[in-house]
Amino acid sequence: MSAVTRSRPRSNPVHWLGYGLVGIVVLFGVVSFFWTPYALSDMAGGRLEPPSAAHWAGTDRLGRDLFTQLMIGARIALVVGCGAVLIGGVIGIVTGVLAAFATRVADDALAAVFDILIAFPTLLIAMLVVAAREEASLGTAILALGIGLSPIVGRITRILTKRVLSKDYITAARVSGTGWGSIVFWHVLPNIAPFLGVNLALQFGLAVMAEASLSYLGLGAPPPNASWGRMLQEAQGTVYTAPWGALLPGLALFALVIGINLLADGLRDRFDPQRRDG
Amino acid sequence: MTRFPMTRRSFASLALAATSALALSAAAQAQAFDPEAVVNIGSLYEPQNLDNTAGAGQGINEAFNGNVYEGLFVLTDDGDVEPKLAADYEISDDGLTYTFTLQDGVTFHSGDPLTAADVKSSIERVTAENSASSRKSTLAVIDSIETPDDKTVVVTLKTPSISLPYNLSYVWIVNDAATDISSSEDGTGPYTLQEWRRGSALSMVPFEGYWGEKPSNGGVMFQYFTDATAQNNALLTGAVDIITSVQSPDALSMFSDNDDFTVSEGASTTKELMAYNDRIEPFDDPKVRGALAMAVDNEKLLNAIWGDYGTLIGSFVPPTDPWYVDLTDVNAYDPEAAKAQLAEAGYPDGFSFTLDTPDYDPHPVVAQFVQNELAKVGVEVKINIITANEWYTKIYKAHDFEATLQEHVNHRDIVFYGNPDFYWGYDNPEVARLIAESENVSSMEEQTEMLAEANRIIAEDAASMWLYLYPQIVVSTASVTGYPLNGLNSQFFVSDIKKAE
Repeated sequence: MSAVTRSRPRSNPVHWLGYGLVGIVVLFGVVSFFWTPYALSDMAGGRLEPPSAAHWAGTDRLGRDLFTQLMIGARIALVVGCGAVLIGGVIGIVTGVLAAFATRVADDALAAVFDILIAFPTLLIAMLVVAAREEASLGTAILALGIGLSPIVGRITRILTKRVLSKDYITAARVSGTGWGSIVFWHVLPNIAPFLGVNLALQFGLAVMAEASLSYLGLGAPPPNASWGRMLQEAQGTVYTAPWGALLPGLALFALVIGINLLADGLRDRFDPQRRDG
Repeated sequence: MTRFPMTRRSFASLALAATSALALSAAAQAQAFDPEAVVNIGSLYEPQNLDNTAGAGQGINEAFNGNVYEGLFVLTDDGDVEPKLAADYEISDDGLTYTFTLQDGVTFHSGDPLTAADVKSSIERVTAENSASSRKSTLAVIDSIETPDDKTVVVTLKTPSISLPYNLSYVWIVNDAATDISSSEDGTGPYTLQEWRRGSALSMVPFEGYWGEKPSNGGVMFQYFTDATAQNNALLTGAVDIITSVQSPDALSMFSDNDDFTVSEGASTTKELMAYNDRIEPFDDPKVRGALAMAVDNEKLLNAIWGDYGTLIGSFVPPTDPWYVDLTDVNAYDPEAAKAQLAEAGYPDGFSFTLDTPDYDPHPVVAQFVQNELAKVGVEVKINIITANEWYTKIYKAHDFEATLQEHVNHRDIVFYGNPDFYWGYDNPEVARLIAESENVSSMEEQTEMLAEANRIIAEDAASMWLYLYPQIVVSTASVTGYPLNGLNSQFFVSDIKKAE
């Protein structure tokens, strides 16, 4: 840790903006577990009220508080992002490392599979998962997005792992009798972790966007889950009379994704060995 | 033989009277109309093909009913059934034989004269084995059709059917020599098909040899949109003159405060409802259904979806059907009574069910409303979003559901409650008897009385949860007048539309 701290580059204010944006979303998401201004099912507000002291973000057609929905949307975005990256990360890293260690033929085959799967639309995967499970839920969205992410992670892991495996210290470790398992855990994973971490953060942003699209199309979390994508869809018809209903979830989505991207940038500057100063 | 008494029924409400007064004053201002002007109509319902017995969808009825094809009868914009191609008709005393005399001087667009044989083949097209017409079952009562001469058609029925003239208003009279009517036409109407560009537009021009009154415009073009917003924008920019169905009150704000546009509300027949599967527990118990009906505040829901538009009717029968009764007092909103009645029915702690919800507006929003309302009386609703296709296979065909949301667009469709095999499985022998026997009576008054009784029973039984009646909103540019306003799901007569110079 101290080595990292010493070699840290000048802090970049743009990165702090990223931490800030993500921090706000995380804060609202976490708080939503304990407290929201109104209950999600509370329809006591008027139809499409503009933002006011009572309803900070206005209300929807049913008179439900939009700020409450935005907070729950933050929670859903985070849960989906984390879940999808976890699933995609585990599948991707395991298959990527395996490919790097496999025989030439198996490696080529796995590499081809990654390329094909990357070209496979996540939306189609989501529809297949929904069809297999017979109903759309938050779980199916997370599973579909995780599966969709896994080949991207797999491909990067494979390339990074091969790069590490070609290093002299791996040969040294092999010669000194270290087993493959130990090599993966003590040499490969620590060396690819910074780069992979940055990539996973970017994938997190993509997963949040993709969940919004799925929910917009009705393949994500079913109502009344207030996913930002669902909120956008429900506000679509009233965008002329109540623009805040569509603007605010759109802005929240934008803030989280841009925040994650800046954060990933910051992480890379901080941990990428090749970018460390002298 | 008795001459069939035609019942005229006017449903002009205050709102309608106000609208028509407005339309009149607009017409007074725009007296000088251009008889050569082409009227552009925006629609969301593109037909799949041009044959209404081959699953073409509601769009073909909108474009062709009364415009390109005519029936023996016509359902006017006021909701009356009047003779059209039938100049006159007589019913035998036992109500089993209808003798129609055809109009003189009617020719098809191809030049062939209208004969009794055309009528016979047109009716048989609808009742044929492979016909996909939604009217097929209503004409199953026909036993045989004779054509003693070119001007006379004799229809013999198996049992009396008071609705025969109404049902025949949906049967297009097609030239029996026409070969391909799924991509071309040969009717007797005031317009002939000019061009159908799949995916975008369908244009019609006046037919020179039309037997009736000449159209007051130089042709119409239906332009098809897949998206309501695009359709509204087309009206704003002047690309279309009229849009036939506004999908939300919020889209109206663009037009209602603008003198360049006329917003009119007609009488709709489209009903939003939550249909239970009445075959299964706990929905087989009218007490439970009644309790659920009392737990949902329909007025708040209607306001949420339609703002100041739309109507509450308390049952399945819209005000334009002769047997309409205001039943909003039956099982009116009362959550406390709902809770008590649920307890009485054996569900003091409520229960839970899955609500299959079509994925398009307004159903998902309606589902959340119902979910929140029922939660207050302890009933848990799980919302399952499905596509229109799934709805058709899973619910309409397989009856594999607990409850679902749907809009029903037809008029006079209370008959669905007399069919225990219909998707919602409502089975009340008294209602089935009333609906079946109402066909066999000899006057509209008797039919109306029996169906009003059936209407009352299904309301008291809370056979389904009827949420609200959609408004029928037509918006046009101020320069266009004379378009129909009512019952537009199945017809849109364009012949009287005038466009100012």
